[in-house]
Amino acid sequence: MSSSDPNKLISKADKLTRLSLTRWSADWKSATLLYEQAANGFRVSKDYEKAKLAFEKASKGQEMLASPWDAAKHMESAAALAKELRNWTEVIDFYRRASELYMQCDRPQPASDSLAKAARALEDALPDDAVQLYTDACVILEDDGKEQMAFDLYRAAASIYVKLEKFTDAATFLLRLGLAADKCNARNSQCKAYLSAIIVYLYAHDLKQAEKCYNDCSQIDAFLRSDQNRCASKLLSAYTEGDVEEIKRVAQSSTISNLDNVIIKLTMVGKGKISLKLEDFGFFYILSFEFLLLLKKG
Amino acid sequence: MTVIDILFRVDEICKKYDKYDPEKQREANAFLDDAFARLYSLVEADIEKALAVRFLFSYPFLFLFSFQTLIFQINYWNKMQKSDKVSTEKNRAAAVALSAEIRRIKARLMEEVPKLQKLAKKKVKGHSKEDHETRFDMVLALPDRIKAIPDGSTAAASESGGWGTSSSNKKVKFDSSEERFGSDFYQQTEESDQFRQEYEMRKMKQDEGLDVISEGLDTLKNIALDMNEEIDRQVPLMDEIETKVDKTTSDIRKNNVRLKKTITQIRSSRNFCIDIILLCIILGIAFYLYNALK
Repeated sequence: MSSSDPNKLISKADKLTRLSLTRWSADWKSATLLYEQAANGFRVSKDYEKAKLAFEKASKGQEMLASPWDAAKHMESAAALAKELRNWTEVIDFYRRASELYMQCDRPQPASDSLAKAARALEDALPDDAVQLYTDACVILEDDGKEQMAFDLYRAAASIYVKLEKFTDAATFLLRLGLAADKCNARNSQCKAYLSAIIVYLYAHDLKQAEKCYNDCSQIDAFLRSDQNRCASKLLSAYTEGDVEEIKRVAQSSTISNLDNVIIKLTMVGKGKISLKLEDFGFFYILSFEFLLLLKKG
Repeated sequence: MTVIDILFRVDEICKKYDKYDPEKQREANAFLDDAFARLYSLVEADIEKALAVRFLFSYPFLFLFSFQTLIFQINYWNKMQKSDKVSTEKNRAAAVALSAEIRRIKARLMEEVPKLQKLAKKKVKGHSKEDHETRFDMVLALPDRIKAIPDGSTAAASESGGWGTSSSNKKVKFDSSEERFGSDFYQQTEESDQFRQEYEMRKMKQDEGLDVISEGLDTLKNIALDMNEEIDRQVPLMDEIETKVDKTTSDIRKNNVRLKKTITQIRSSRNFCIDIILLCIILGIAFYLYNALK
């Protein structure tokens, strides 16, 4: 009976659930079963719209059967299909619903996972919503005390902000990452996060903010003793002197190349942008012209 | 042996054994009254000796015909038997020693000259005025003659006639002239320049290699630290899994026990006996009916 037309299965299941004179209570068990089969059938035949619908109904059925776990699972499948259809609002809705169901099961991990999946799907299309989803996911994990899982999420959120050119927000996220790492004693990640934040500030040509950030971070022992600290101080001094060669050299050092790809890209491009905003250092105008010429050459 | 050789030999022999010649001694003794003449003859003899040694040294073959240095000649003959190189080496050492000896003699003779000058001034009976003058001239000529005795420090021309043994003296001299010292010095810096360059090149290569190694080590360090953090992340997950699995195993065990109990209850012996008795009764009834109907 499972190999029969999924449409038939759906209509049969609908009949079971619809209340009428002959039916006083819906038979969710069998209906859910039928819905699941129909959804699988649709997925195999690549009829995503109908499959999505079937999954939705299956999820509702599971809810009625008081098994939120299965319900959440079906919701996730529905959301994945919605992603294929590029129906972004539905994607958000489904994933959120799934996350709620997971929380009902008292399982925060899969909840944040589903939100993260949603954010990843939306990165290109709706970056603001994506960032929101990432934040919610991180909040869930932090409430549960599992900050370590949140590192990747923070990093992803920061990279989205960088792409959106919202550098202060990106730096804030990186600092939050540093905080989370501090709680977990993940020193390497923490130092890398702080260094990335400083680089982001420098890229935004906010030298004062960068220096303030550097001073704040220097208060922390772990950062003070690390390679990243040395690298940051070198970078800052090179920046204040407007020494392009030094910046290039620091950017090519291994400390920077161990950071996130997005940050590395910033350092590479940042070399060129230094010249554009050196009003504070008037007597380095000449330097900037030279550097622009160099850029033009190659 | 040619006649000339014989003549030379005879001369040398006579010179060596002059002291045994009574006539010559008488002649020499005649000079004893004259202090100047005596001293002058001594100086002359020394100059002759130095020149002879020098002469003999510059022309080694003639060693063979010199009885004055008979022993030296025997030694040199022995040296000639050996390889040329070794003999040249020894000759150089011998040359150095002889040159030093000659220099000593020269210095001593120079000291004697002022004495001779004083004596020359004194008037001696039996000598005419011309003799006196000539004596003075001879004394004046002495220093030049002494200086003319060649030792190792004079120009190479006089020694190039030799077998190159004496030319090697140049390099180990202490009182050689400034220019020569300078040119030798310059030659050596060319070699050491090359050496220095090679050293610098090798050092650069080593530095490059060390740079590559340090970069690799940095990457390794980063990877190791990330792995460390990842494993730290996995630890609480593993703990959770462990608790869950423990709970599940205990649940299963409990269920197994209950199932066993239920099954034994169902299959208890009492029920089994009752089942058999009832079965027998049914069979009995069936048999009775069968008999009755037959």
